[in-house]
Amino acid sequence: MDLTGLLALAVTGLVRGGLYALMALGLALVFGVMNIAHFAHGEIYAIGAYAAYFAYAVFGFSPILAIVAAGITSFVAGMLIEKGLFYPLRKGSKGDWLMNSFLVTVGLSFVLKNGAQAIWGAQFRGISQYWEDSIRILPGVSLAYDRAIAFVISIAAIVIFWLILRRTEFGRAMRAVSQNETGALLVGIDLDRIQSITFALSSMLAGLAGAAMLSILPAYPSMGMTPNNKSWFVVMLVGLGNVGGSIVGGFMVGILETVTYYFLGGGWQDVVSLSVLILILLFKPSGLFGTTEVKGRLER
Amino acid sequence: MNKLERILTIGAKNSVLAKLRSWGIPPANVAVLVVLILAPLVIRDQYILHLMVVSLLFGAQTIVFDFTTGFINIVNFGFAAFVGLGGYTSALLVTGLGLSPWLGMLGGVITAGMLGFLTGVLTLRLRGIYAAVMTWFLGLALMALTAVEVDLTRGHWGLNVPLLASAGSKPTYYYVLLAMMVVIYFVLRVVIHSNIGLAFRAIGQDIEAAQSSGVNPTKYRVLNFTLACAFAGLLGGFYAHFVGVLTPDVMSTDKTVEVLALSYIGGRGTLWGGVLASFIFIPLFEYLKSLMELRLVIYGLLLIAVMLAFPDGLVGLLRRTVALIRKTRQERKVSQ
Repeated sequence: MDLTGLLALAVTGLVRGGLYALMALGLALVFGVMNIAHFAHGEIYAIGAYAAYFAYAVFGFSPILAIVAAGITSFVAGMLIEKGLFYPLRKGSKGDWLMNSFLVTVGLSFVLKNGAQAIWGAQFRGISQYWEDSIRILPGVSLAYDRAIAFVISIAAIVIFWLILRRTEFGRAMRAVSQNETGALLVGIDLDRIQSITFALSSMLAGLAGAAMLSILPAYPSMGMTPNNKSWFVVMLVGLGNVGGSIVGGFMVGILETVTYYFLGGGWQDVVSLSVLILILLFKPSGLFGTTEVKGRLER
Repeated sequence: MNKLERILTIGAKNSVLAKLRSWGIPPANVAVLVVLILAPLVIRDQYILHLMVVSLLFGAQTIVFDFTTGFINIVNFGFAAFVGLGGYTSALLVTGLGLSPWLGMLGGVITAGMLGFLTGVLTLRLRGIYAAVMTWFLGLALMALTAVEVDLTRGHWGLNVPLLASAGSKPTYYYVLLAMMVVIYFVLRVVIHSNIGLAFRAIGQDIEAAQSSGVNPTKYRVLNFTLACAFAGLLGGFYAHFVGVLTPDVMSTDKTVEVLALSYIGGRGTLWGGVLASFIFIPLFEYLKSLMELRLVIYGLLLIAVMLAFPDGLVGLLRRTVALIRKTRQERKVSQ
């Protein structure tokens, strides 16, 4: 393989990795702060994609506005889900919160996916492109604007989110809850508020991913399945609840998959990457980077 | 239930029933079994019989699923893949080597059981949710492999499988499956009511406490997975020779979630709750055609409702109703 081919491969891997990182970040956040193993994360991604489709293709918003609208829609959806499902579960929960909340998200995923099918049918709702044209990186290597902007959006969302987490009062409260819930309560942090906003933010990250990728992956009811599997794959690889690690892991998996796809052909990338993961978990059950910050929450 | 027990014990005093109960098999189960055996003699309609076979198939799967989830508290999220592995093994043995479907199904039991054993070993060091996700990934990997190995499995084109009996003879399928379910139920029930079952519950509730009181979690987890997956393979074999065509979709997570939902709606940790739920919901959805499309939405909603409000499912509701009736009757007796 020559240099051009290698570069093309790297660019595809990076774009894919940015998307995985964005998805995995939301998943890791929900697990780290709320201790929810969120199985409906892919369906939230689908909400974002549907919202962007309706905003752009039906209501005629501009591309940027459509993506923003999708972010807001998924934020609100996340808020509603948290208030409607997890809040009552938390208040009434007796036994095993981790397992109960996981099963609630399993039910939620079924409801959203098949609900979309019942309302909108199984057809694909895609757009050909947000922006025309592409960037030429080198002779022979070009990148469509859509992919470039999707990449920029995922990086921007990750950076902004990271600043919120590290630099603001709210982010500090979020980290406090993730480290020690009782302690956070004792120093006067409003737990219910933190948890609602955390879930809504995580949903917004997934929704943005869905909206940004709309021209490449059209919206259809079970579209969330693959992103859900992939983001779970990433968070398991780096260790559940490891927020920083999930970003690195997203890029690692994106590049790994692109390379396997290139050398082995379609279909095999799932077999290869799942086998790699199973092997890693066999020798390091807590994931590649272990779990330092949220360790206490896993010792259940 | 008490009254029924009394009537039955009067009928056959000190005999078989007492023995059955000593194995942990209550007379009510025997009564249900008698009804299930006699049903095809009364019902002649092929369509209703078909529905009953489908309900039994789901019911039997929920028993096996609950054996792992309800007792050692690990959700086997790759359950459908084990069922599918049994189905594909049996189908390939029959079409490739010309074995009889019965031997094929035995092959399915062996491969699925072996993979179950391996899964048990692989997930040894993992805690609840990690183990569930690991089984999920194993299932996904198996499904991806089935879809890619087109030369062997014909992938998404679908593999044609010889039927067990002619498509019209529903009673044959019904009795074969009923026999399988009864064997599965009684074997698992006897295990649950033995010391092994006690150990399952102990590691399901608190693995450290169980360990410190001398229960070896490794042994019991592997045992549970091997047994459950072997039975899942058996049911998969039946499915293959009943439906007549296999695609990798039989291994999909959605299939697992369907079984999971029925099992939780029925009542977790009861073994038979899922059978009850299957016999209620599968004919109901079939009967109300307009609801068929919303079937999975309703499963999802019911699963959420169970988790939020009725943690012990239909069986719990049933038990509470019986207790309430008994209480009011006693109160009436006292007031008289």
